[in-house]
Amino acid sequence: MGCFLKGEGRAMRLVLLLAVPSFGLFFAGNLSAGVANSACADCHELSETFHKTPHGVYFSQDADLAEASCEKCHGSAVDHLNSGDPKDILNPAKMDQFGSSFLCLNCHKGHQFDEWAFSAHNTAGVKCASCHTIHADYTAEKTSETEMCFGCHSEVRASTFMPSHHPIAEGKLTCRDCHNVHGGETMFVEDQTAGELCYSCHAEKEGPFVYEHAPVQEDCMICHSPHGTVADNLLKQSEPALCLNCHSMHFHATVEGVEGTFIPPAEPDRVTESTLGAWKSGMLTKCSQCHTAVHGSDLPSQTISTGGNALTR
Amino acid sequence: MKRYVLMIAVALTLCAVSVGAQTDTTAFDRYSLWLGGHYTDFNDYAKKVGEYRLIDDNVFGEFRLDLLSRRGSTLFSLNGHFFDEKNILGQVNVTTGNRLAASFQYRSLVHQLGQDLLSNLAAREAINGAPGGKMLTHEILDPGADYNIHRQEVLSTFDVLLSERGNVHMVAAHRMILREGTDQSRSVSHCFSCHAESRTRQVQNTTHNLELGLQADLTEDKTIGYRFGYRQFKSDAPDAYAPYDDAKHPTAITNAGTEAEFDSRQAYEDTTLRVNALPQTEKMSHRVRFKGNLGKGRFSTALGYARTENQETDLSSDAVTGTINYSHPLGDQTRLVAKVYAARQEADDPFIDLPTYRAGRPGGAAFANLEFDYTRYSVIDRTHARATAEVIHRLNPRWTVSVLGGYEMIDRDDYPVADDGLQTKRFIGQIGARFRKGLNYSSRMKYRFEKTSDPFVSGRGLFEYPGVDSLARDWNGTGATFGFIFYHDREDLRYQAITTEPTDFHQFEWNSNWQATPKVGLSIGVRGFYDKNSDLDSLDVSHFSFIPNLNVNLTPSDKLAATVGYTYNHYKSRGPVSVALFDG
Repeated sequence: MGCFLKGEGRAMRLVLLLAVPSFGLFFAGNLSAGVANSACADCHELSETFHKTPHGVYFSQDADLAEASCEKCHGSAVDHLNSGDPKDILNPAKMDQFGSSFLCLNCHKGHQFDEWAFSAHNTAGVKCASCHTIHADYTAEKTSETEMCFGCHSEVRASTFMPSHHPIAEGKLTCRDCHNVHGGETMFVEDQTAGELCYSCHAEKEGPFVYEHAPVQEDCMICHSPHGTVADNLLKQSEPALCLNCHSMHFHATVEGVEGTFIPPAEPDRVTESTLGAWKSGMLTKCSQCHTAVHGSDLPSQTISTGGNALTR
Repeated sequence: MKRYVLMIAVALTLCAVSVGAQTDTTAFDRYSLWLGGHYTDFNDYAKKVGEYRLIDDNVFGEFRLDLLSRRGSTLFSLNGHFFDEKNILGQVNVTTGNRLAASFQYRSLVHQLGQDLLSNLAAREAINGAPGGKMLTHEILDPGADYNIHRQEVLSTFDVLLSERGNVHMVAAHRMILREGTDQSRSVSHCFSCHAESRTRQVQNTTHNLELGLQADLTEDKTIGYRFGYRQFKSDAPDAYAPYDDAKHPTAITNAGTEAEFDSRQAYEDTTLRVNALPQTEKMSHRVRFKGNLGKGRFSTALGYARTENQETDLSSDAVTGTINYSHPLGDQTRLVAKVYAARQEADDPFIDLPTYRAGRPGGAAFANLEFDYTRYSVIDRTHARATAEVIHRLNPRWTVSVLGGYEMIDRDDYPVADDGLQTKRFIGQIGARFRKGLNYSSRMKYRFEKTSDPFVSGRGLFEYPGVDSLARDWNGTGATFGFIFYHDREDLRYQAITTEPTDFHQFEWNSNWQATPKVGLSIGVRGFYDKNSDLDSLDVSHFSFIPNLNVNLTPSDKLAATVGYTYNHYKSRGPVSVALFDG
C-alpha cells in the first residue's frame, strides 16, 4: 500500500505515456542475452521493484519478457555481470541523441514521435530519460509536468510569476497546451504561419478584418510576451510607451489634466497648456482607451483622415 | 479600481486516503481523495494574485480525487480538482492495449479583468491664454461593474489503431472553449472635441476546434498521414452600441471658427452604431505528411493548405505551407539536421468606400468632392521562407559540439512601406557545446546570433494603406493656393515608417548540473540576450535580459523530492517614444 498524497492530476500523464502500450509493439530484443532480472537485482535494488513500474507491468504480460526485461533496454548484461564495469552495459540515461532516444522509439512507435529526430529537444541533446523516469513505479512521487519543464527553462518559470501572465503558475495551463515537446505539429494549429498558435485559442483576433493592424498579422510577439510581463495584458511594455515606439502621441494627451468629467468651456479653471506636467500626464494615457480594436476591426472609425482605419470601433 | 485578492492557503487536509490493491502485476487499483478548503480575502496586495481567482470573501471547500486502475491491458485514470465553483479541473484517460487511447478533459477558470475608469481622459487646451481649444471628456456608464470572464474548455481526444498491419491510426480531437461574462466596452466620439464612453458588454464567445486524421505506415520506414482541421469562432452576445453625436469644433464656440470644419472630418455623426463587434470566423485546413528514410538519413515533409473566412464581411485569407526536415548521419559521430519551411499567404483586398471630403476651412471648398475611397491591400499577403542546417558532432564521450546556420526571408506584397521595408532578410548562426562526465556532471552552453536587414516596420502608423503618398501629393499639387497645411497633409507628414524590431540579436546560455551525492544535486546556470537596432528607421531600441539561476535538488528517498531554487530575471528595454510634432 503506497502513501499517495498528492498525485497531481496531469503529472500522471507522464507515467501513462510510458505505460500505454499503444505506442508500439515490443521490439524483438536481439540485444538480450537472457540474463534474468533477479541477477541484476543482486546489485540494483531497482530490479526488485521493476515489476511495479509501468514498463514492468507491461512486460509482465509476456512470460519471456518478464524474466529478462532489464536487457530489453540495457542490452546484454553478460559482460557487465562478469566485470561489474558500468561501461560494459548500455545506459540510456548516459546516451545522447545518437542512441538513447531511438532506443525508446523502437517500442514507442506512436506517430506523435514522428518528428522527434528533428525536434529542438533532440538536437539540443535532451533524452527521453531527461524528462521521463523510466524506473518509477506507480507510487513514486511525481513531478508536475510544468515543474519539470521549469527545471531547464528557468527563465520561463520566472516569467510566469510576473504581474501579467498566462495562468501557468496557478496550474490552469500547462506547457503542453502550447508546446509540442516531442516536436512536430501542435494540436489544433491549422497552419504554420506566425500567430497561428495563439489564434488556436484566441481565434477572435485572427480575422481577416477589413481594417488591419500590421503587427498582428506579422507576429503576436512584437507586442506580447506570452509567458509573463510586468505590463498588463502580456504587453512587452506598458501603454502608451509600447504604442509610441511606432506611433506619434496625440495632442490630447499632452495638455494638462483637470478634475471632474466635464466643465463648460468658458470655465477659467479649465484653461491649461501643454506643459511638462501635461506630458507626464500624457504618459499615463493608454492608447487602447480609444483605439479599442487594436487587433483589427470590420467597423470604420469616425475620422475620414485615417481612411477609417483608426481602430476605434 | 481593480480589486486584488490575497489567498490565504489554509489547505486543511481533513482526509487523505490512499488505497492500493495489487493482487497481481496486471490488476491493481489506487485512488486518493483529498478534502480541504481555502479562504480568500481582499486587500491592496501589490501583485495581481487575484487575476485568476474567484473574487469572493469566503471560505471554500476544496477536494481532489485521483484514481488509477488497471485490468490487464486496460488502464483507466481519473483526476479531478475542485477549487471553487469556477476553478475546476477534471480528466479521464482510458487506454486499452494498443487499440485505443482516449482522453476527456474539462477545465474551468475565471479571469478577472478589472475596469478602466478612464479618469485620465479629462483635459482641456488653452488657445492664446483664453478658454478654448480641444477638450477631452469621459463618461463611465456602469462604474460599479466587476468585469470577469469564466473560461471553460472541454477537450476530447481519441487515437484508435484501426489495423496493426500498417500501423493504421485514426486520430480525432475536439476542443470547445467557452468564454462567458462581462467586459468593458469603450468608444470614443468626436463630438466636442473627444468624448470617451465606457459601458458593460456581455461576452459569450465559443471556439470549436476539430481535428481528424488518418496515419499509416506504407512500409517499415515510410509513413503517410492526412489531417483535416476546422476552427469556428462565434460570439452569441448582444452587440454593444455607442452614440456618435454631431461633430462640433470647439473653436466654433470660443474662437468663432466654423463648425463644419470639424464636421468635415467625420465619416458619420448623430447616430448610434455597433462597436467592439467580433465577427464569426471559420477556418478549414488540410495537411498531408510523409516521412521515411532516405539513404542513411530520415526525412519528414508536410504540405498544408488553410483557408480562413470572416463570415460577416466575406473576407478570406489563404495559406499554403510546406516543410521539409532531414536528418543525415555524417559518419558515426556526426549528424546533420536540416529544416526548410516555406509559406505563401494571401488575403482579399476590400474596397473602402468613404464619404467625400466636406471642406469647411477657407480654401477648402475647391475640394468639397475630394474622394477618399481606396483599396485596402492586406498586410497578410506575403511569402515567408526559412532554412536552417545544424551539424552535431560528438568529439569524444564527454564533449559534443554543434554549429547551426540559417537564412530567413519575408517578402511582403502590399506592405505600405516603400522600397527596402518590404523584404526582411535574416541570417542565423549558432554554436553550442555539451559536456558530460559520467552521470554526475553535465554542462551545456549555447550562443546564437541573428542579423536582420529591414525588419518589420510599422508603416505610417494609422495611415496604413498604399496610395497615401499620391493622395497627399495631389492635394499639395492642386492646393497651391493654400496658405496653411491641410489636416490630412499633417497626417501624411506626421507618420513615418519606424521599427522596434532588432537588427542584431545575441543570445547566450550556460547551464551545469552536478550530482554531488546520490541524494543531493546542484544546478547552476545563466542565460540572457541582447538585441538592438540603431538603423535610421528606428529610435535606437535595445533590449537586454540576464537570468542567472541556482537550484538544489534533494532526494532523500524515491518517494520524496525537494527542490530549492532561485531565479533572478533582469530585463531592460530601451524604447524611445515618438512624440507629436503637430497639433491635430
